[in-house]
Amino acid sequence: MLRKEQNDLLTQTGPGTSGGAFFRSYWLPALLAEELPTNDCPPVRVKLLSERLLAWRDSEGRYGLMDEFCAHRGVSLWFGRNEEKGLRCPYHGWKYDVTGQCIDVPSEPADSGYCQRIKLKSYPLVERGGILWTYMGPPDKQPPLPEYEIVNVRPQQRFVAKRLQECNWLQALEGGIDSSHVSWLHRGELNTDPLFKGSRGNQYNLNDARPVFEVVENPGGLYIGVRRNAENNSYYWRITPWVMPSYTMIPPRGNHPVHGHFWVPIDDENCWAWSFDYHSTRDLTETEVQAMRDGKGIYVKFVPGSYRPLQNKDNDYLIDREAQKAGRYYSGVEGIAMQDASLQESMGPVVDRTKENLVSTDNGIIMARHRMLKAMKALVDKGTVPPGVDPAHQRVRSAAVILPADQPFNEAAREALTVRDGVAHASV
Amino acid sequence: MLSESARATTREEARFRIDAPNSRSRAIKVIALDRASETVLRRLAQQPWRNAAFMTVLNKQPAAQPVGGWLADLAGDTMSLIEEIRSADVVVTLSNAGENSEMAGVVAEACRAQGKQMTALILDAAGAPEASLLKTLVPLRPCASMLVVANGEEYVEAMLTALRA
Repeated sequence: MLRKEQNDLLTQTGPGTSGGAFFRSYWLPALLAEELPTNDCPPVRVKLLSERLLAWRDSEGRYGLMDEFCAHRGVSLWFGRNEEKGLRCPYHGWKYDVTGQCIDVPSEPADSGYCQRIKLKSYPLVERGGILWTYMGPPDKQPPLPEYEIVNVRPQQRFVAKRLQECNWLQALEGGIDSSHVSWLHRGELNTDPLFKGSRGNQYNLNDARPVFEVVENPGGLYIGVRRNAENNSYYWRITPWVMPSYTMIPPRGNHPVHGHFWVPIDDENCWAWSFDYHSTRDLTETEVQAMRDGKGIYVKFVPGSYRPLQNKDNDYLIDREAQKAGRYYSGVEGIAMQDASLQESMGPVVDRTKENLVSTDNGIIMARHRMLKAMKALVDKGTVPPGVDPAHQRVRSAAVILPADQPFNEAAREALTVRDGVAHASV
Repeated sequence: MLSESARATTREEARFRIDAPNSRSRAIKVIALDRASETVLRRLAQQPWRNAAFMTVLNKQPAAQPVGGWLADLAGDTMSLIEEIRSADVVVTLSNAGENSEMAGVVAEACRAQGKQMTALILDAAGAPEASLLKTLVPLRPCASMLVVANGEEYVEAMLTALRA
């Protein structure tokens, strides 16, 4: 359980909140690069950390992310004309560049200098790994660009998507940290989903139904290790890293691409679930990419023209009670991503954690909350840069490995848990 | 018309959730396995807890004590390990990185006999040399169903609070 004030700290990320300051310490995924595909393309409304913003790409390919509303009369610049190195409000013609600087107020004499006094709040927007990243914190504290492995592999080696999740970001993140739900909620998919099935590691899952958990702190967050008995006094380990604030990676299976997530607050009652797959040493196959587009693995099908899942709360996630009874889908909802999202959304917009009853297998969640609360306090009280900002903290991997029974998994698998360019993920 | 899920997950509907206790207090037994973690335990014991008991493990069973007298309360009085585990809902052991944790085996044996799970915390692991950490970790691993390696001691309080101790 959390006290109410602790729950508020962790779940509120708007301007002026401790959680907001925490998130504003990091580069965050804001949009897919495909959303701004060409110069002078239509602008895109973006809401992040409870701020209404507009993303756009000017005539020279520069990206901008700024206050959505014109400084003149508050019109949404989503209606703006994106032309000639600027975005012009169609109401009275005020024009802005990608930094939010007003560069033309037609009703004022050009030499009056009036437009120079008008500037919309804006944030940097940078493309890395098919993702447009933004940093919404104080400019003098802007950290180096993100170095997660996904942003450094070639485009052919990766697949990135995002989906709307209609609940607070922490409910989604905690699903990514909570390894103990996999054997229940996703049990049907481990042996049928094309992006999961067929690995030798799955046999260890089946042969040992009583996994044991270990949680170890690392500089950027945590490692959550789940071990099962293997041969000759050894253990089969599946190791999930969490890097603050909201990066998690699923341990690999066989030679499948590895999967992961970023969970980014839109406001306090909605978040983006960013999902990615990549293979560190080979291109994704056409079959794999097609499966991802078809909503297999950690992906979903979408309502056409949107990033809202086709299975959503408005259609009860297309729950299939027959499939639930027959055991095809343990919860009756199809697909790993929506199995998670449907249950996390069912908790309500912001779950009341004063009422929960955690058990010892929830130590990963307890430790993650503890570390974030500690990091927020250090940031707000002393200006301490939180864990996970340092790019070195981001160069971590998940791993599936067999290790001697008497070794600390994070030490014995140190190389496997570190990004090594050109070396495949450690997988079983 | 709104779907069942759309209607049920609004903020307005959250107001109608039943506001009544949904659990009874669990008895949490926290056992320090070494002197360093006993210091942490004594500090923790000063705080108000609903249903947590704090005790230390003895290095050997006192000859004059009843069977299973492997534990002592904070006043130093011997306690029955078997009785304490029997009356526990959650068993947590504390060890400091680098300290001997062999006595975890005795606690684990009692837990197994009573069908209880044991959670083991290793504290102050930040910067501990690997050999030192191994000394503590190796005896704990076969005993614990959940093992947490924490950098500082403040995690114990956070975990106990989270478990409603």
